[in-house]
Amino acid sequence: MIFNEEQSMLKDTARAFIEENAPVDNLRKLRAAPEGPAYDLELWQQLVELGIPAVALPEEYGGLGFGFMGLAAVLGETGRNLVATPLVSSVALAASLIKLVGTEEQKSRWLPALASGELTATVAVQEGRHYNPKSIETKWANGALSGSKTMVMDAQEAGLVLVIAKNASGALCVLALNSLEDVEQERYMLMDGRKFSDLHFRDLAGVEELGEGEQVASVEQALDIATIALAAEMIGGAESLLERTVYHLNEREQFDVKLATFQALQHRCAEMYCQLELARSAVLSAFTRLDQGRNIAKAASQAKALANECYQHISNEAVQMHGGMGITDELDIGLYLKRSRVCNQLFGDANFHRKRYALQIGI
Amino acid sequence: MSDLETFRAETRAWLEAHCPESQRQPILKREQIWGGRNRVFPSADAQAWFEAMADRGWTAPSWPKEYGGGGLSIEEAKVLQQEMARLKCRPPLYEIGIWMFGPALLAYGNEAQKQEHIPKIVKGEIRWAQGYSEPGAGSDLASLKTKAEDMGDHFLVNGTKIWTTNAHKADWIFCLVRTDPSAPKQQGISFLLIDMASEGVSVSPIELISGESEFCQTFFDNVKVPKENLVGELNKGWDVAKELLKHERTLMSSMESMSEKEDFSLLELAQQYLSLNSEGTIEDGEIRSRIAQLLMEMEAFEQLNERMFYQYKAKQVDQRLGMLLKHIGTKQLQRKDELILEVLGNKALSWTAPTANQQEHIVTRNWAFNKSHTIAGGTSEIQLNIIAKRALGMAS
Repeated sequence: MIFNEEQSMLKDTARAFIEENAPVDNLRKLRAAPEGPAYDLELWQQLVELGIPAVALPEEYGGLGFGFMGLAAVLGETGRNLVATPLVSSVALAASLIKLVGTEEQKSRWLPALASGELTATVAVQEGRHYNPKSIETKWANGALSGSKTMVMDAQEAGLVLVIAKNASGALCVLALNSLEDVEQERYMLMDGRKFSDLHFRDLAGVEELGEGEQVASVEQALDIATIALAAEMIGGAESLLERTVYHLNEREQFDVKLATFQALQHRCAEMYCQLELARSAVLSAFTRLDQGRNIAKAASQAKALANECYQHISNEAVQMHGGMGITDELDIGLYLKRSRVCNQLFGDANFHRKRYALQIGI
Repeated sequence: MSDLETFRAETRAWLEAHCPESQRQPILKREQIWGGRNRVFPSADAQAWFEAMADRGWTAPSWPKEYGGGGLSIEEAKVLQQEMARLKCRPPLYEIGIWMFGPALLAYGNEAQKQEHIPKIVKGEIRWAQGYSEPGAGSDLASLKTKAEDMGDHFLVNGTKIWTTNAHKADWIFCLVRTDPSAPKQQGISFLLIDMASEGVSVSPIELISGESEFCQTFFDNVKVPKENLVGELNKGWDVAKELLKHERTLMSSMESMSEKEDFSLLELAQQYLSLNSEGTIEDGEIRSRIAQLLMEMEAFEQLNERMFYQYKAKQVDQRLGMLLKHIGTKQLQRKDELILEVLGNKALSWTAPTANQQEHIVTRNWAFNKSHTIAGGTSEIQLNIIAKRALGMAS
């Protein structure tokens, strides 16, 4: 439920590094180059040198074994400054998928390379307008892969693309592609300045299947890990927005007084803080369960639903309380606003997770 | 086995041996044991369970042993709480003295006061009431006017206190009184203990929208109070009050577990009263979604409390989090009450009609009574002021 000494140190290191090297302006540069990379490759190399991709992986695969809580600490910091990294796509999702689903040979082939940062990977999950792994239609049958994926993160940069599909008997399975050469792709930038890809597979042969036999529970577990990783990033973003808003209200004067002295604004900020700490507690609790080796299906849905609402609400309030400046592109507030909406859709919106939570508790 | 695990095993065995089967059932309001000179035990089992716990000081598990408390560390107290919850043991004692007054007296009382009052609280021999608010001093508590004049060998108290919960059943009352009328507001207030049996004390219950009358108005008419009943320094009562208020707010944030009311599970009532489809899920997607939403938030509130526990253990307390509990907890409780009413439909509307079963009747009374939670102990508006100014550092 709280960071231990190692994890706190990691958090401090990440914060110091990001404040020094990754101002929010970095995102503006990435946004100005729609054809350019999805994240700053040089910055990522520096994070690799700090050992960040290895944080959560077990030592037997070249990891540091700090647990996922350590990764949560770092994600909170990248979220605060809207730092684009493959931490969610590669470190949280792809590595977990390989670890949970892969054969021993596949794990030893890929995990050490992911831990050392030599390799990044991504996972193609989503189809259609809303995230819902249950309705996946991409098919893996008779040695051929067919179907379409959307909202694939960091695909162009990835050296390994994993695809979640359904096999002939309708069970979830995972395919590994070492290259996207024979895959039809459309790459686009979304409103948050990040780049995503659509991938189309037409009877693609020569792909490798991850693991052996039925893997449904493991696939869902890996998706849940990515879900809470993104939620941790979102909490960081919401926290930064609230701090920026309170700072602004303490600076800005109208009617000869600081805006912060108005009770109407004080109470709204206090409510935001309550919501933030509730959502943060849910996220930390999910990571704690994960590191304890417990099931996180319910916890992940609770954490993501609350993080979605929290980030959405705080970003709306932040825009409003910054007044006219809040709707200018000059201020960073709008970047957070847009990021929150993209995060909402990735790995499931509040509606999806509320229903999934309801199912988990038996109503 | 670690010391804590040994303690857990011993505690479990002791509870299993000493908590009668009948004391492991959900408790009804009339079966609660409150302290006091006139206390009554609803059954022999209840008395046995109460006495077993009181003998060990486990009615106040973490209070020092020298004053009759359990002397447990915070970790041990949590283990006891977990083990009691596991066996569904009833709380052995309901008492403001345990929840609020005792911790403040342990912090601010002198040795004689602690020796005199703490053991009696642990043993449930004295029932305490709180005298803070006045008809003219609610949220602006420091404007209180009940005065205690120094008459040499005693104080002479005149004035009135309102919302004094269960004052008509209490033996003693702790009060905030004005001892220096010329000093600025908070600085002329003292913390005084008054025996309700003193001459000049009278109590009049107030009928509430729930139909109950547990809140009272208490009048003091030339009441003589011995000098040794002053807690802390003269004119420094505000410090004691603040300490006590912290415990009250923490308590009120977790009213569900500590409530003197019967607790109903929203989840179980929903399953009982709403139409389910063949998979056992609630048919009406709209109300299902709102129930799930609230339950997610209530779970997050438990997780927040758990986080604070681990912070405390690791000596990394984030003081800001404590300021959130009362507002979040009471607001969630009221949202839960509203949803329960909605789930029960017109079954929740009867007030005196014989058709209402006991559960439906209580649910409705709870809903009405729980409106007090966002008002008592510092209104939600005051809580939000505190969060904005002290937790967020907003200019005032």
